[in-house]
Amino acid sequence: MAIDVIRDVAKPILAGFGITGRRLKHPKVTVQYPEQTREQYPRTRWRHFLTRYESGLERCIGCSLCAGACPARCIYVEAAENTDQERYSPGERYAKRYEINMIRCIFCGYCQEACPTGAIVLRKNFELADYKRESFVYTKEMLLEEYPGQADEPYVSIYQRQS
Amino acid sequence: MARKTDAPPVNITINGIDLQVPKGELIVESVKRLGLEIPIFCYHPRMKPVGMCRMCLVEVGMKQPDGSVRKMPKPQAACTLPASEGLVIFTDTEQIHKDRKGVLEFLLINHPLDCPICDRGGECPLQNNTLFYGPSTSRFVEMKRHAVKAYPLSKHVTLDLERCIQCGRCVRFTEEISGDAQLAFRHRGAEMQPVTFELEEFTSKFSGNTIEICPVGALTSSHYRFRARPWDLETAPGICTMCSNGCNVWFDRRKGKLVRINGRTNEAVNEEWTCDKGKFGTDWMNNPRRASDVKVRRGDGFSRADWAEAYAEILERFREGGHEVAGLAGPMLSNEDLYLLRRMFDETFGSSNLDHRMTSVQGPAVEPPSFTIEGLEDEKGAFVFGASLSDESPIVYLRLRKAWYRQGARICVATSRPDDADAFAAVSVRYPQGGEAEFLRSLVAELRVQLEGGRSFGELADLASTLLETRGPILATESLWNLDQAGEVLAQLRLAAELLGVSLNVMALGANGQGAEELGVRPDAFDRTGLGTRQILEACADGRIRALWLAGVDPFEAFPDRSLVQRALENVEYLVVQTALETEAAAYASVVLPITAPGESDGSFTNVERRVQAFEKAVDPPAEAKPAWRVFSELMVRAEPRTPHFSAREILAEIAREVPAFQGVEWSAARDGGVLLGARRPLSRARS
Amino acid sequence: MGEYKLLLRHSHDPAYATLDGYQRLGGYEGLRKALSMDRQQVIDEVKTSGLRGRGGAGFPAWIKWNGLPKQKTKPHYLICNADEGEPGTFKDKQLMETCPFLVVEGMTIAAYATQADVGYIYIRGEFVDAARSMRRAIDEAYRAGLLGKNILGAGMDFELHIHTGAGSYECGEESALMSSLMGERGMPRLKFPHAPLPTISGLWDSPTLINNVETYACAPFILSNGGAWYASIGASTKNSRGTKIFSVSGHVRKPGNYEVEFGTPLMELLELAGGMKGGALKACVPGGSSVPILDAEACQKAIIGYEEMMEVGSMVGSGGCMFLNEHTDIVEFIWRTSMFYKDESCGKCTPCREGTRWMFLILDRIKAGQGRPEDLQLLEDVCRQIDGRSFCGLGDAAAWPVAGALKVFRHEFEHYVRHGRSLVARG
Repeated sequence: MAIDVIRDVAKPILAGFGITGRRLKHPKVTVQYPEQTREQYPRTRWRHFLTRYESGLERCIGCSLCAGACPARCIYVEAAENTDQERYSPGERYAKRYEINMIRCIFCGYCQEACPTGAIVLRKNFELADYKRESFVYTKEMLLEEYPGQADEPYVSIYQRQS
Repeated sequence: MARKTDAPPVNITINGIDLQVPKGELIVESVKRLGLEIPIFCYHPRMKPVGMCRMCLVEVGMKQPDGSVRKMPKPQAACTLPASEGLVIFTDTEQIHKDRKGVLEFLLINHPLDCPICDRGGECPLQNNTLFYGPSTSRFVEMKRHAVKAYPLSKHVTLDLERCIQCGRCVRFTEEISGDAQLAFRHRGAEMQPVTFELEEFTSKFSGNTIEICPVGALTSSHYRFRARPWDLETAPGICTMCSNGCNVWFDRRKGKLVRINGRTNEAVNEEWTCDKGKFGTDWMNNPRRASDVKVRRGDGFSRADWAEAYAEILERFREGGHEVAGLAGPMLSNEDLYLLRRMFDETFGSSNLDHRMTSVQGPAVEPPSFTIEGLEDEKGAFVFGASLSDESPIVYLRLRKAWYRQGARICVATSRPDDADAFAAVSVRYPQGGEAEFLRSLVAELRVQLEGGRSFGELADLASTLLETRGPILATESLWNLDQAGEVLAQLRLAAELLGVSLNVMALGANGQGAEELGVRPDAFDRTGLGTRQILEACADGRIRALWLAGVDPFEAFPDRSLVQRALENVEYLVVQTALETEAAAYASVVLPITAPGESDGSFTNVERRVQAFEKAVDPPAEAKPAWRVFSELMVRAEPRTPHFSAREILAEIAREVPAFQGVEWSAARDGGVLLGARRPLSRARS
Repeated sequence: MGEYKLLLRHSHDPAYATLDGYQRLGGYEGLRKALSMDRQQVIDEVKTSGLRGRGGAGFPAWIKWNGLPKQKTKPHYLICNADEGEPGTFKDKQLMETCPFLVVEGMTIAAYATQADVGYIYIRGEFVDAARSMRRAIDEAYRAGLLGKNILGAGMDFELHIHTGAGSYECGEESALMSSLMGERGMPRLKFPHAPLPTISGLWDSPTLINNVETYACAPFILSNGGAWYASIGASTKNSRGTKIFSVSGHVRKPGNYEVEFGTPLMELLELAGGMKGGALKACVPGGSSVPILDAEACQKAIIGYEEMMEVGSMVGSGGCMFLNEHTDIVEFIWRTSMFYKDESCGKCTPCREGTRWMFLILDRIKAGQGRPEDLQLLEDVCRQIDGRSFCGLGDAAAWPVAGALKVFRHEFEHYVRHGRSLVARG
């Protein structure tokens, strides 16, 4: 069977470019990441934070409910008792160790849902790539806000922050 | 648990289902026969019902002659209601659901919502019942009751009065089971609190059980405090090795480490209780001083070695050592360890210098105990001689107390010092320390006088007459070998047992002391002749023994004569220390071999009533630690070609073949409830 | 009908509290007659009399007396419940202070009928004068051979002891009283059908008869005059016989103890007490604080009698009759009552321990003007959750007055909730 050059080659090519041509008048949807970032959906869940009360005390009481709720078993909590000399959280108990294995985490947000004090929250910080497996185990120091309200600040891409 | 009764059966109806139950059985128990459940808080099957919490309300009716049912106007507590003919019970009506909601709403109005930080959260009966039967919201808008929180009642028990729901389980436990009555309610009404008198220290020897039976987090363990949540834990059955009673326990571990011990039900041994020693005395297993590496002495210090190196060195010193080598075995070695240890000494080293007894002197073998812990309940009495049972044999103590509390058994106690058992003893006598033999001679004389029908008014008349009336077993412990006139004391005890026609039970104190006796870990067993512990140590001290093996024992701690131990360990040429902890003796060692602690490997123990109980590995051992039997097996194979042993089960099967006393013991039976060794008197004449 | 002075006939006479005076005025005739009779005959006489327990429940006395084993295998005990803690009731106090021998004689008769060896009078701790008076009477009776060994030469032994309570209302409940008497915490114990009746297993697990002071005090009259004579008093009622002492208090001109025949209208009792003071009758609590409150209309219809009182929605109870005038704030009245029960709950069972406190807290809030419309429904629910669910009667007793007032005077509660203040102007 012979190939009809016009029917089988030229026409489809022209039709294909036609689509491209028609699209030229539409606005662009691609953004130049990382120079530009796109606004994220309101319910996007990425990196975890451990938040603080206004007073600066940690909200986390080390209750392990997040670990219990976690379907990926990626949270490890070790609790200890607050003393009057050394107080981390308002009640009797605080988290001495709090670790999340970010490679295992599936970002389902159950931990946030389970948390009785609203200590653990998932925010929009999505640029979590790293070079070593070990660095994906986020410790309490990494997860804890430095000051109250830090986790609620709008997320800025790490690349934009550098520039 | 209610024991089998001879009560006649009665017909009752539960939710329309007819069934027969023994007359007088509590309805809360009858309901379980149908696989139904009634929610409870204050009811505990081992204690008298009180009906305080009102959680178990059911509707009750009586069957009328014409077949109709007349309902009682008020709901009744199922935990106190005994079954009687024609009783009709409804556990699932609209009204009962409402009542349960009402009771839970009442309980929760003053219960703090600190479940997330409460150690009971996740395994809390109040949480469970609320979830199944309770209201979803509270209508209580007032201030909750505030009380003492996190009060350290003792170094084991933390009290949180805000969480208390005043069910009285702990109070009743100290009154009915442990008998020290240290907890009581103070104040009344909504202010009622279970506390010790004036909040002084809670010194009960069984205080840990109150933590387990508390239906909320009011009493929590100070050791376990905040260390794990229930969903973090992995649980495995185990046997407690802190004394010879062999309590069944649960080992709870988190990330391979032991964090908590709870009682496991075995009606024949510990019911469900544990003593504080067993429950809290296991911190050493997580001790940083655990021996974890093989170490060999090089000059003044140790250097790490591998097992092969250590084995070669040991074999060089011990093989065919004959009379010049000796071994001492510890109380926490399993039956399998002890069996292979004896075989290694017999077959590989050709030595009979092997002993497990750490008493001041070592005498000839005593007949094995013939009482059973469960059987004590049915005795009319018992004679406790020279033993502080609450310390040395806590579960036997609880059973004796139960025999007194439930059946009115008359317990006789003769000790040199005041004892806990005095509180319920029918007769308790004191003799001066060192006067044991004389005391027993007078007692035997007194027994003779009374047996011949004579009457006397001596100091011991009461004791002798009670003994003659009750004829219960004589209970002594192996600590009598620490007495100056041990031989005479034992002879007199035998005489007394003979006169009374009862059994003499010399109870072992170490977790597997009885097992060591049964397996012949003593110089005179199986027609051998060798040296006993004291002689071994003396021979070490004057150089007659050149190599000594300490298998899981630190004679500095265990043997009464410290200076002899020191001389022995200093003078012995070669010392093998097999240990789980870096003990004092390990400092003198030529080779240190790490062994696993109980619970870190499979094995079986023989308890004080000659019950063989097996358990499986529950906790991870530290680095290189091996079970002792594996070391013995490997050494024997190295010395001469033979079939090695691969598992504890296999060794137990071999023991069952080779050692007459263990005939018929099987691993699975030993693991599920245990196997009693030897023939027993039938249970009991006293029950009729 | 009307006042019928039987027990209190000589209460004004100081000589009646001495043995001589008592015997001169007809005392100890009942015991002498009883000792001449068979034990069963004594019980039958009490049965004929129709005497019912005067402590509040109105249980027929003879059934209890008859319930103790006839074949004695254990010691039998007798207890006189003189722990009169019910707010509004003070009849036992007067009986013990002015007619102590009536109680002693009554108990001796009961001891004879039930073969009891030892008796205890459990007197409320605050009744110091009553305890003294009883003590004097018992001592005198011992000296005269009317207590102790071989009473009146009839070969009967009976020891009588006094035990004073430590101020717990709960110890007036019979099983809690026995616990307290045995040196335990004053908490109620299991009752029938959960445990044997006290007549089989009571004090120290032995057969025990426990009755109110007034019940025992009736016994001498029943024996000396015959059961049939006693039954003729108050015969107009359904099932109540004899007389009942009412402690009348509240807004009346002459508060005090009044003994009336059963069948007397409640209003007649009010007349006896001199009528209302400071305003018209608004409500009446006829039988001690535990019974439901009656409004004026129901008072007009009320006849004194166990069944008759039930018909109008209240109870005879222990006879603590409080009349309230039109200026009384019912909410405050109930608030005070519930505070009493909150304080006196022993703490044993959940509904009473938690419920009484909750009820008080709600009422306290309503009284402080912080009430919410849903609070009335909540109060009713709490009452329903306590009533019949508690371990002993204290829970019921705490719930009834609140539930009763909510039914009868609901508009006052509603006014409080809506306006934050009382409906009645303070007079």
